[in-house]
Amino acid sequence: MRFEEELVALLPRLRRFARGLTRHASDADDLCQAAIERALKSRDQWQQGTRLDSWMYRITRNLWIDERRAAGRRGPHQSIDGDVVQIAGDGIVEVEAGALRGDVDGAMARLPDEQREVVMLVLVEGYAYREAADILEVPIGTVTSRLARGRETLIHYLGEAA
Amino acid sequence: MSFDPDIVAAFVDGELDDLTARRVEREAAGDAALAAEIARLRALRTQLTAHYAPVAEEAVPERLSALLVMDDKVDTSLDGRRAARRSRFEAIHWGALAASLVLGLTIGLQPWAPTADVTSDNGVLVASGPLADALDTRLASNQPADAAVRIGLSFRDNAGRYCRSFESGTIDGIGCRAGGGWQLEGTRRGQARGDYRQAASGELAAMAAGMMAGEPLDADAERAARDGGWAAHQAP
Repeated sequence: MRFEEELVALLPRLRRFARGLTRHASDADDLCQAAIERALKSRDQWQQGTRLDSWMYRITRNLWIDERRAAGRRGPHQSIDGDVVQIAGDGIVEVEAGALRGDVDGAMARLPDEQREVVMLVLVEGYAYREAADILEVPIGTVTSRLARGRETLIHYLGEAA
Repeated sequence: MSFDPDIVAAFVDGELDDLTARRVEREAAGDAALAAEIARLRALRTQLTAHYAPVAEEAVPERLSALLVMDDKVDTSLDGRRAARRSRFEAIHWGALAASLVLGLTIGLQPWAPTADVTSDNGVLVASGPLADALDTRLASNQPADAAVRIGLSFRDNAGRYCRSFESGTIDGIGCRAGGGWQLEGTRRGQARGDYRQAASGELAAMAAGMMAGEPLDADAERAARDGGWAAHQAP
């Protein structure tokens, strides 16, 4: 029961992560359910002694990316980068700074997936850069650059705290 | 500002070694722009954390925790519940558990315990003291966050009895109304620590699912049942 118990203990955090990724409560729980089912099915692939939480987060995130890609194939408007509103560069600032003050969900919705997942892992879930890089299977420099862009976008929309 | 933006971000994220972190701190004391940048990044972290924190505080939906309690998918059909009842619930080694609980709680292995939550009535475990009070009066929909006894699900079993799952620091289990008291079923040692408590809650919920006839009581039905003294109904 050890494996299941650890998973149960992880569920509250995993639901939070999934909520951030999917931005909807029911989608988040569907995602968690799929992740749990996948984990139970492939529990042999989890190496005892390694962190179960990182493994679970990776499964959850990969399932979400698969889901997004599938949605992208179904409809042209939902591609994985479909909702990218790139405002972080020097260019265009079409939306007034602080326009979404207080609306964290709205601001997060404007991040590309690959920035949103880093923001969730580091700023909300509290993972170190190294740990987030392991979960996402990307170099640490990718984590820090995506995090920096995500942060600036969020601060732009949410406005600087008073 | 005297530091690269990545360093400031790493500082706020707790990623710097102690030496560099202290340098940033020292510098920020005399550099308003740096101090403002740190505050700006911290404010975002705080805002995001506060926004998502309530999700982790929510009760985990049954459909998720149940996946981890049983080996197979939870079957919520009536047949499924009957099967669950036969195969699992009655298989709990509850003779031994009951004996140890009664010994521990009534003979005084825990002499510091204020009032025993469990007594034995002709070999049947029944709730007493604060546990009995909680089962009698407390509504799941309205209980203090720090309550010593937490009520989970209230439901009717196939015999028409009202049953209520509960968790406390000492024992967890399900009490069913019988003979003016609460007969305890499937009790186990309570799990005071958070992580294990989560697991225990899932097991209790699955156990309750195996016992219940129909759906669990909603808040109104629970209140009505309490106000009616938990009087048993005929089996449907």
